[in-house]
Amino acid sequence: MKSGHTKHKKHKKTHSSKKINLIAFLIILPIAIAAIIIQSRPRVYIKKYKDSRYQLFVRNRPYIIKGVCYNPVPIGGNHEYDVFSDPEKPWISDGKLMKEMGINTVRFYQVSDNTEGVKEVIRDLYRLYGIRSILGDWLCFWEYPCPRYGDEDFQEQVRQRVLSRVNLYKDEEGVLFWVLGNENNYSFSGQVNPWTSTEIEEESEPAKQIYLRAKTYYSFVNQLAREIKEIDPEHPVALGNGELLWLDVANEVCPDIDLVACIIYRGKSFGNLFQSLKRNFDRPLVLTEFGADSYNAYKKEEDQDMQTYFLELQWQQIQKNLYGNKEGEGNCLGGTIFEWTDEWWKHNEYLQDTWSIHDTDAGWSNGSYYFDIRAKNNMNMNEEWFGIVGLSEELEDGINKRIPRKSYYALSEFLKNPKKKLKTKLQKPK
Amino acid sequence: MKTKIAIFIAALMFFAPFSFAEEAAMTENDTFVVYLDKGARENHYIPSGHMGDYGDIKMNDQSLDNPHSGSSCIQFVYSAKASQGNSWAGVYWLFPANNWGAKKGGFDLTGMTKLTFWARGQKGGEVIQKFGVGGVGIDKDVPYPDSTVVESQPIELTDAWKQYTINLAGEDLSYINGGFFWTTSADLNPEGATFYLDDIQFEADPEIKPEEKKSQAMPFYVYSDRGAISNHFIPSGWMPATGSRDIKYNQSHKENPYLGDTCIQLSYYDNSGTRWAGIYWQHPANNWGIQDAGFDLSAAKKLTFWARGDKGAERIEEFKVGGIMGESSDSDSTSIGPVMLNKEWTQYTIDLAGKDMSYIIGGFAWATNVDVNPEGVTFYLDEIKYE
Repeated sequence: MKSGHTKHKKHKKTHSSKKINLIAFLIILPIAIAAIIIQSRPRVYIKKYKDSRYQLFVRNRPYIIKGVCYNPVPIGGNHEYDVFSDPEKPWISDGKLMKEMGINTVRFYQVSDNTEGVKEVIRDLYRLYGIRSILGDWLCFWEYPCPRYGDEDFQEQVRQRVLSRVNLYKDEEGVLFWVLGNENNYSFSGQVNPWTSTEIEEESEPAKQIYLRAKTYYSFVNQLAREIKEIDPEHPVALGNGELLWLDVANEVCPDIDLVACIIYRGKSFGNLFQSLKRNFDRPLVLTEFGADSYNAYKKEEDQDMQTYFLELQWQQIQKNLYGNKEGEGNCLGGTIFEWTDEWWKHNEYLQDTWSIHDTDAGWSNGSYYFDIRAKNNMNMNEEWFGIVGLSEELEDGINKRIPRKSYYALSEFLKNPKKKLKTKLQKPK
Repeated sequence: MKTKIAIFIAALMFFAPFSFAEEAAMTENDTFVVYLDKGARENHYIPSGHMGDYGDIKMNDQSLDNPHSGSSCIQFVYSAKASQGNSWAGVYWLFPANNWGAKKGGFDLTGMTKLTFWARGQKGGEVIQKFGVGGVGIDKDVPYPDSTVVESQPIELTDAWKQYTINLAGEDLSYINGGFFWTTSADLNPEGATFYLDDIQFEADPEIKPEEKKSQAMPFYVYSDRGAISNHFIPSGWMPATGSRDIKYNQSHKENPYLGDTCIQLSYYDNSGTRWAGIYWQHPANNWGIQDAGFDLSAAKKLTFWARGDKGAERIEEFKVGGIMGESSDSDSTSIGPVMLNKEWTQYTIDLAGKDMSYIIGGFAWATNVDVNPEGVTFYLDEIKYE
């Protein structure tokens, strides 16, 4: 009896133990599967939901890009300045200011050949401040005499450079994604950096020539994206584009592009940007260049209110079109404001004497920035005044002292509490 | 303490008469008169702001020629001679006279919901491009701009008195210095126009509701013929600022139009050195997104137009609809181009399928440049319409 009882107990225990094992197995299995799936996911990836809504994940956590374009040319410097080789390490104090503002991403248009310097900047920004880096490449757009995208030798030259850089930096934890090109599509019309090929020359109709340029360029970029993914499956690849122009052609030939990185200067509203992209080239969008200058060319005075007004409205629309915001399109991943600091060299880039002068002449016209469009000849865009942080000639820690503008503080509030700020009624600048 | 109370009472007595008087004018009456008869005590504002070709306007504000009511009406004779070279003219009722926003003179007309006036043409068929309220200094750098602007569509007058209404319900009328205005043009009245106005007044009509923007019926013309009342949008957005030196525009070209009596002739030559130029057709004129005035063209499936080059092979970089971005922005934009024009009339289509045409200020535009037209270019447009 005892033994029978014991046997029964033992049997019961065994049965119970099996049951526990089964439950444990059933609990652990999905966790294990999830862990395997999570482990197998790239470090940075984009998830697509229904209705073409997208969300960016970094290390399996949602990530909204709250960024700035970063090219901190000091007063007196010009486009040859290389932040990655700057012994004063401006990114140390800039990164601190950025973090305080709520910035989590910087965009570099192009990295230099100083490999160790590039790694140091990416690492410092990430380790000290948690700021990740978007790494871009011009794809030799400014090559003299022109970028010959229809030429195989030229393509190979670009390809080697891009892939070698991807190889160099793909394992850096701070890298967010790659951007191929910037506003290279403006060359399709033949007005900027015109390039051609035999096939294009044989076509007499200008509209078809443009189509052929677009197809040639986008096909090449797609090939690059495919090869990047072969050596670096951990990061998405973006197509850099000026506005949404010719993305309908990209839609035909760019299956390997993960996202679009757009330059948009439309004033206070992005208009139909998000809907239009969904319609023409269904990819998530990062606004990698947008913003407003802080100089009123009509009143001929600094106007920080004007810049703040535009930037807040622009960020509101980015916020509205992020995944999870039902009233928007859900295809925006964030943006990088143009830009962190003013660049004093830009207006007269070939006159060295002017690189130390904060030029108040406007370089181009854009009616969407309407507060100062009545400036002489409608020239209202002051290229040297786009920073959300101004520069002083006074040095601090070896670099030009940073003077955050109103937009810095306003956006800081917004980025930290976007939903609350969305309800705020903005005051128009006087 | 007593001193403070005394000062307070004194201050109240000092300011009270002014504020009470203003209140009485604004809210206790259900009308606010602009013009009843010459010299009427109820009149407000002065028709002093003569605009455009002011030399083309003759005004008689005590015309005895068949007034609608009372003893007099206002007669305007517009000669369309383009005395100042503008080919348009108009008159603003301002207060005080000639105040374009530099002085504080506007009235708070909150509570008024419409402006009514009576008008007739001497012959009938005279076209007034627009009547309106407000708008003084609204996009200008002046200390006292009006709080709103409301405009009518073009109106073709009859030879009998007829009452017209401008709906002001829902508008911010807290500061109106431009109490009333009209403008018209030589294109709309090539032979000039004589017309009469009477009994112009604001009214507080509780029944009137804010005007809902409705989708425009198709076809919706940008240009059919010179001065056609069916035309919409004004070719006012000459780009860039130097555009007037580089572009010649004639919307009354009579030689070989595609349809009707006239077509548009455009010539571009890079006189300014700016290297490019173009024109936007806007609503209203010069609206770069400052005024909330877009048409709802949701019913449009396409925009078509006819074009030809003077010699053939002229290259226009872009024909476009929408795309104006300002305080109020177009809801979408799309374009075709570059287009190589033929010497013969050819129809072009801008496909609007899938486009959001619910709010359009920039109805049509073109642009080209010197690089593709080093010798300049002359071309023609006709029958520009949404369908």
